[in-house]
Amino acid sequence: MFEPKIVAFLCSWCSYTGADTAGIARLKSPANLRAIRVPCSGRVSPELIMRTFDQGADGVLVLGCHIGECHYDTGNHRAAKRLPVLQALLSFGGLEPERLRLDWVSASEGERFARITTEFTAMVRELGPVHWRWEGKRRQEESRDLLISSKTIPLPEMDFTLRTESIRAKARELLASGQVGCVIGYETSQRGRTRPVFIYSPEEVGHLVWNADCTHNLSGYLVDKLPANQRERSNENGSHLRIGVVVKPCDSRTINVLLAENQLSREQIHIIGVTCEGMRKEGGNLQERCVSCQERTPVVYDTLVGEPVHPVDQRPFSQSDEIIAELNKATPAERLEFWLSQFDRCIRCYACRQACPLCNCPTCLYERDDSTYVGMGIGLNEKRTYHLGRAYHLAGRCVGCNECERACPMDIPISLLNQRLAVEIEKTFGYRSGLAVVPSPIVTILSGEYKED
Amino acid sequence: MNTNPMLPYPGKLVEVRDLADEIKLLRVELVEQGAEAFKSWQPGQFAFVSAYGLGEAPFGIANMPQDGPLLDFAVARLGSVTTGLHELGEGDTVGVRGPLGNCFPLEKFKGKNLVVLGGGIGGAPLRPVIQAVLSQRDEYDSLTILWAARKQSLLVFTDEYDAWRAAPDTRLHLTIDQADPKWDHNVGLITDLLKKVNPSPNNAISVTCGPPIMIYYVTRMLAEMGFRPEDNYVTLEARMHCGLGKCGRCNLGDKFVCVDGPVFNMLEVGNMMETYL
Amino acid sequence: MSQPDLNAKSRLISQAELDKWLDGLARTQTLIAPRNVSGVVLYRPVAGSDEIVKGVNRPAMSVKEVFFPPTERLLTIRKTGTEIHINETLPEGQAVVFGVLPCDARGVRLLDALFLDTTPADPYYARRRANTTLIGLACKEMGPTCFCTSVGGAPDDPTGMDMMLYPAEYGYMAEAISDKGHSLLAEAGWPETVLGGTAPDSTGRFPTLEKSQWPGHFNDDYWMKISERCLSCRACAYVCPTCRCFAVRDEMLGPGEFERIRCWDSCAGENYRRVAGGHRPRAEKGERLRNRFYCKFFYFPGQIGLSDTSACTGCGRCIEVCPAGVDITEVLQDLERLA
Repeated sequence: MFEPKIVAFLCSWCSYTGADTAGIARLKSPANLRAIRVPCSGRVSPELIMRTFDQGADGVLVLGCHIGECHYDTGNHRAAKRLPVLQALLSFGGLEPERLRLDWVSASEGERFARITTEFTAMVRELGPVHWRWEGKRRQEESRDLLISSKTIPLPEMDFTLRTESIRAKARELLASGQVGCVIGYETSQRGRTRPVFIYSPEEVGHLVWNADCTHNLSGYLVDKLPANQRERSNENGSHLRIGVVVKPCDSRTINVLLAENQLSREQIHIIGVTCEGMRKEGGNLQERCVSCQERTPVVYDTLVGEPVHPVDQRPFSQSDEIIAELNKATPAERLEFWLSQFDRCIRCYACRQACPLCNCPTCLYERDDSTYVGMGIGLNEKRTYHLGRAYHLAGRCVGCNECERACPMDIPISLLNQRLAVEIEKTFGYRSGLAVVPSPIVTILSGEYKED
Repeated sequence: MNTNPMLPYPGKLVEVRDLADEIKLLRVELVEQGAEAFKSWQPGQFAFVSAYGLGEAPFGIANMPQDGPLLDFAVARLGSVTTGLHELGEGDTVGVRGPLGNCFPLEKFKGKNLVVLGGGIGGAPLRPVIQAVLSQRDEYDSLTILWAARKQSLLVFTDEYDAWRAAPDTRLHLTIDQADPKWDHNVGLITDLLKKVNPSPNNAISVTCGPPIMIYYVTRMLAEMGFRPEDNYVTLEARMHCGLGKCGRCNLGDKFVCVDGPVFNMLEVGNMMETYL
Repeated sequence: MSQPDLNAKSRLISQAELDKWLDGLARTQTLIAPRNVSGVVLYRPVAGSDEIVKGVNRPAMSVKEVFFPPTERLLTIRKTGTEIHINETLPEGQAVVFGVLPCDARGVRLLDALFLDTTPADPYYARRRANTTLIGLACKEMGPTCFCTSVGGAPDDPTGMDMMLYPAEYGYMAEAISDKGHSLLAEAGWPETVLGGTAPDSTGRFPTLEKSQWPGHFNDDYWMKISERCLSCRACAYVCPTCRCFAVRDEMLGPGEFERIRCWDSCAGENYRRVAGGHRPRAEKGERLRNRFYCKFFYFPGQIGLSDTSACTGCGRCIEVCPAGVDITEVLQDLERLA
């Protein structure tokens, strides 16, 4: 008979003591439990929980103090905010959501401890062994093809000349007057492809263009080019290096997130915001992310290029939304199969992470030399951990610029993960990232550190 | 001998002692096939030492081949592999792959005035040069040793200094970066010491090992003092994963530190400083 | 530019005969061929000829992953008490790869020079290589990002293949190149013929520097400028037929059980040369990109004793995948202008 492996994270102050209380009162708790004592339920990070499932746990229980009774005041609030988001992500990734449970048990509630652990174990026993971890070889099956549905929308008619001229004029002015040392924009390469360009002198602004292939999110270059400490770098005049950057509405939202996270300061950049009707994908149609875009005008800018357009109230439904809806309707096992077949061809090149303007950790948690959260191998389990983990790290931050998916050399639809989480965050917190200089609701900030603009 | 160059030989830790602050000297005994493989290694070569379960890392062999199938490795505790090695004790097993790399051209050093400059744990791969010279003292001219560390507790092989000083025509100069009340030798960087000692470039060979920035400044100063590039030897280090010239990681221009080095002279690598600075 | 040997014994076969033969191969061995995997064409095991993607197609990944897979187990480690048991894990199994592009086979030849011909030989690569047969398929035309002819290759170059197929009217010309190929061809039993057919246009498109010119450009500002748009994403290295940098590490399998694995890595990565103490050579993007190009055209060929070639096979995948628009052919043209 299958006996599930249950890992229980118990906080020192309440639930671990609650477990003791149950023991002293001779109340029966399942022997399946492997207890791990932590200082606080808020310390139980999502990466740790994912690692636990990766290592073969059939169920993970996190028990903390009741809300209002946390020894550290807000630790359990943290757990309460984050774990449901993780649960949504894991469920989307193919893990039955019932396998992760967050609950509250105080030091004196021995009976409650026994009841919750017994209930949970019974439920996981019924679900059966977890199929999360893949062993051995997998025949590289083709997954169900992603829908290429009727919903492709053609690129709207656009005139680029005016905006191209305005961008050039502004760049010329900024560079000539010394207001900025560099303008990051778009150019057309010798091969006829649009790509990022770095303009340092007014004479070169003729390279700058605006067209339907300006899909790159240029705000990603800002953090590396601008030092955290403004005193460190200056241009030839000895004044601080300021950078001009050409952004679309999605890119401008990225800048707000970077500002909220103190990755750069507002004075360091001159934002040339351009109104956008959408970018082209292969085949000439509108990119999926542009189909569902609500902002057509940049949300933050110093200079506006193009006529401002009102944001769309209701998020338009795109092909990716259709795919997510299909996946939501499927069983966890079907979703698991979908994702494993997608990650199968992942080569863990990290192009997705490098292209992402918000992935800025000096050493990525999933690239540590000591393999703390994930091994180095390019195997199915490792790849899945990396992608789900990265998606979690972007929860409440990702603006949907889709650079990750665009950079992927294997065309893996990873932004579906980010989109699913964006929906979850909006549902739970009424929050959409990057519309103001406000950090993600599930990012922890020490009190006093966050400054209102 | 293993036909698979990625397979380590088992080695027994016969001695573990503290060499300096967070630096241990591990003495490994090889048996059977391992002893066979290391039968004729030369000073300057290195080996990969495995802390099984954590990984392996390259270490210069810090003693003389005459010691038999016994290899000394100086290990500074910095990352997961070295921490794993530090946690082992006498009697434990490690893996050893090698001998790898090239060696010091000791024949070229004979009859010359030798200037040996070691910074911190960089002294470890230089120790076999000093030992080789001392064991055949007549074959070499003067020996000037400049030994440096950031602080006193980081100086390596302190118990051998007296023996070095006692050898004929051999001088030992010590320096630490930061002043210390218990220290009554030179205070300052090794480049300051080099200026003070001012060895003559006449019929001289220098051998330097230490942090990359030290190697850069020392070799520059030696050149300014009149040492010819081909007479300035260095033993370099880079992050390595295979040690066989396959994984590509340790390249210095078109040379691999693991195969074409780690011993180089500045004529070979003087203009390829970018990759290890 | 290579011309098929007009006097060689070759076979003329129709598409149907080819398919039937491939189906036979797939039944008795592992047949790897370009297959559609969720919209991406990759060299993958196929159950039959109907799964093979036909037409001008450059699979998204090169054939190097058959011989040098992204992750490979080198040995296992078992710790019991004070004893440690090491077990070498060499790869097993044989395979036939069909539809190999000439640029990919050229890449394999370069990796052979590194892994087999340069001592010590790599037993893992050697095992896979000995147990695999390469059946090439000449390209009918060069794609927009192709430039094999600029680096000493050609769309119909059979070098490195065991057997080569050239598209011809009503089917293919099949030619044996190696001994393995001769036996395979003999087994197939198709009627002999004299080789014919037209070779595709194979004029070189881009200039390449003389080897002696590379050192002079090392300290040019150019490398910092060209790399500004680079994201250090490493996609270029992973899709490249000749990039071969790898990392080695021990990973835990269970209590007391470990495996030592190697997997792909790239010099374009930010932490590629970082050492445990924190020192990080090639901290600048420009230094990394410079190393990449130097290695590809100057260092790597010298290291494997093929100084008169380049390690770039002109497949063009890096141009296709780069999210930031770094273009190797543009670099070659710029260097020519700077020279």
